[in-house]
Amino acid sequence: MSAKTEPPASSSAPGVHPKPFWSFRPRSDREAGDAVVSNFLLHWFPAKTYKPSLDWSYSFWLGTASAALFFLLVLSGLPLLLLYVPSVERAYGSVKDIEFVVTFGSWIRAVHRIAAHLMVAAVFLHLVRVFLTGAYKNGTGRGQRREWNWVLGVVMIVLTLFLSFTGYLLPWDQLAYWAVTVGTNIASSVPFVGPQMRELLIGGRTIDQATLIRFYVLHVIFLPAGLGALLAYHMWRIRKDGGLAKADRWTPTQEKTEASPAKSKTYSLLGVARGQAPAIRAVTLEARDTTVNSVNDLVRRISIVVLGTFAVVSILACFIPSPLEEPANPMITPNPAKAPWYFLWLQEIVTDTTLKIGSFTINGAFLGGVILPTLLLGLLTVWPWLDRSPAGAAGVWFHASRKRQNLVFLLVVLLVLAFTIVGTFLRGPYWNFYWPWEAWPELPTRI
Amino acid sequence: MEQRTSSPYPGKDRPVLAVIGVLLVVSTVVFAVTDHRKDWRWYQAEFRKMVAEKYGAEKAASVPAGMKQIWVKDLGRADRCITCHQGILWKGFETAEHPWKTHPAEPLKIHPVEDYGCTACHGGQGWAVESEKAHGPIHFWEEPVLGKAMGEAYSLQGGDKGALMQMNCNVCHRYDRETKGADLINLGKKLVNEKGCRACHVINGRGGTIGPDLTYVGDKAAEQYDMSRLGGQKTAFAWHVAHLKNPKELVPDTVMPSFGFGTKESQALAALVLSWRRAPVPATYRPGVPRTDPQTPEEIAEEERMKHGPGAWFVSTGCFVCHSVSSLGVKSAAQVGPDLSTAVEDTQSRFGKTVDDFIRNPTGTMSVVLSRQIVLTDAEKEVAIQKLREAFAEHQKQKAAGPEAR
Repeated sequence: MSAKTEPPASSSAPGVHPKPFWSFRPRSDREAGDAVVSNFLLHWFPAKTYKPSLDWSYSFWLGTASAALFFLLVLSGLPLLLLYVPSVERAYGSVKDIEFVVTFGSWIRAVHRIAAHLMVAAVFLHLVRVFLTGAYKNGTGRGQRREWNWVLGVVMIVLTLFLSFTGYLLPWDQLAYWAVTVGTNIASSVPFVGPQMRELLIGGRTIDQATLIRFYVLHVIFLPAGLGALLAYHMWRIRKDGGLAKADRWTPTQEKTEASPAKSKTYSLLGVARGQAPAIRAVTLEARDTTVNSVNDLVRRISIVVLGTFAVVSILACFIPSPLEEPANPMITPNPAKAPWYFLWLQEIVTDTTLKIGSFTINGAFLGGVILPTLLLGLLTVWPWLDRSPAGAAGVWFHASRKRQNLVFLLVVLLVLAFTIVGTFLRGPYWNFYWPWEAWPELPTRI
Repeated sequence: MEQRTSSPYPGKDRPVLAVIGVLLVVSTVVFAVTDHRKDWRWYQAEFRKMVAEKYGAEKAASVPAGMKQIWVKDLGRADRCITCHQGILWKGFETAEHPWKTHPAEPLKIHPVEDYGCTACHGGQGWAVESEKAHGPIHFWEEPVLGKAMGEAYSLQGGDKGALMQMNCNVCHRYDRETKGADLINLGKKLVNEKGCRACHVINGRGGTIGPDLTYVGDKAAEQYDMSRLGGQKTAFAWHVAHLKNPKELVPDTVMPSFGFGTKESQALAALVLSWRRAPVPATYRPGVPRTDPQTPEEIAEEERMKHGPGAWFVSTGCFVCHSVSSLGVKSAAQVGPDLSTAVEDTQSRFGKTVDDFIRNPTGTMSVVLSRQIVLTDAEKEVAIQKLREAFAEHQKQKAAGPEAR
């Protein structure tokens, strides 16, 4: 390429890419890298991506899917923000309006609800994946602080659960009211400060307007803003920690190899030299064929995951209607009254550990609702420092040196899932056990 | 040519991305179509045809299109029924089928649609614009349309199968002694007065305390009834009907007597009690009667006579809830127990005890009543014996004087 065919640089400031959009088919590594530098949406990508990071079967792209769901939740939440009225008198009616008369309203609400449930599931699976691959471990790279990104992740899963929980109350129907009643009652079993904690959470002693506005503001402002900020930091730390843990073993060789020179700058030699631009020698630490350009190989895969997530949610939303029960009524407890499904393993444990010995009742809410989740969360948080396996175990599924901890972790996960399934599907009126093929007793109606 | 890193991915990933693109388009089409295809559009088109046929195309063009609602702010109701029921205020569709039929004019004269909406009287879910969700019965909406279908489901006695709707009338009309056109509820109200339900129950702030307060019993949730002994439909209405016919069948240890109500009476009373709800009705919607349930002068006179006449002791002690004392002019509403005028003889034949013994050591139902509901001290028991003897003496005196003297 001779200097004469170069496009005139006068159309833009120096260093600013003249084209507003990146090339879908970059003809050279330089053009691919340019896109990352010049495009706001792509600037947080590396110019090149290690091939193993793009594997479908290593990460299952669960973190990307979680982020996509979060983005979709913000997006579908915006129209709901304009339609929903956070008042005890009108919340229920405004949700009925969204269901029945707003154009695409029931679909928007279904997208929001399904995405919320899927996000809880995706975030949880993401955590399970990171644990089983030991991806919170620092590998061979320098300056890695993966353990702190793991702690960040634990905080984010708690925020995700709390986001979902606060959204649960907003329709102000029986389902919402009693799920939040059960949830906040569990919180009140903390010794000494429990009742005060509950009072702070719900803004009084009964779930009422004060609770609704508190949950609403948390749901639409503080929690999403917090989660969004943490998400950005989470992503930034991945870059700082050298990408996915699996790519650690593919990191640069220590040998410099000759690379073909990439033209990165045009030097004007002001007539000192004539003719061709000076040849620049370039070297690289990358082994050959370990990386691909982020544009478009990474962008394409991310598009597949993000748009695929959107498509799945959108199709599900066409066929799964969102429930809306009777208006909230503090005088009538539905039977059974259940917490949101992701807390049902706790509710199940609470009831299983509530023992009656004679006239003595051992309250399970403290053990199942407070001690156990605090213990599990605490253990999760500090686990990277307790895990003494070698650096080589980072980013490997079921590494031999982590066999025992992986088994214990899987056991806990399976127990949580089992309790969740029992609580969600097998518990009927009076929290009695019913197999799926057993009919629940007929629920009476007014007329 | 500059360096270009080779990549194995585009060949596999591009088709996947294309498929996802197609899925996105498909889902968009699906939700757009489902959102547009609503039955009410068809009902509106049919109505426009009917109007065109009857009154010409110009008139048909004036029929409003799109989703419609009546928003009654005072009642907090947005009734979208008129989206499909477009003909309610049109003349000339009196014989048409639902939903195009003209509404009978008479009730709308005093209950204009714009002030009352539809669901305040008819029941149903005003928010909904789909037939099943609007009319019910469906899960999670406990106010179905109280129409003929509902009346037939309960084999409602009497000519009018749509009479259950009167339950909604009585939300505003609860303090009326009689409401024009609400025969079922009127029958219920008549029975409440005749049978003396207030001997045991508080209704509208007045009555006895042996049974539960019924003033807002219509708000009691279906889940709060013990349906375990109820056969057939498990609904609050069915429970009340069965309970009124035979209280002991549903609640074995109840002290409520059986009044021998037939199906019709039980249904009327069930409809009445279920209409007693704490509904937020603005004062302007209440008909012009005091918000009490006043007694007639005759009723007041009768009550005064019983309270202050020779049988006053039996009234103030509470015996009269179950027992009449005919010789002293005390009339029990329930009349569950025997007349106490002849108790002195009666205890001998029934229990083989003198009345003195029986009062001091009662057996059967009276042992329950005298240990829980009416607890007497020993001194009071002596008074009771004395009073029973007086009643018997009076009875014998009247008997001797002959039937015409009574």
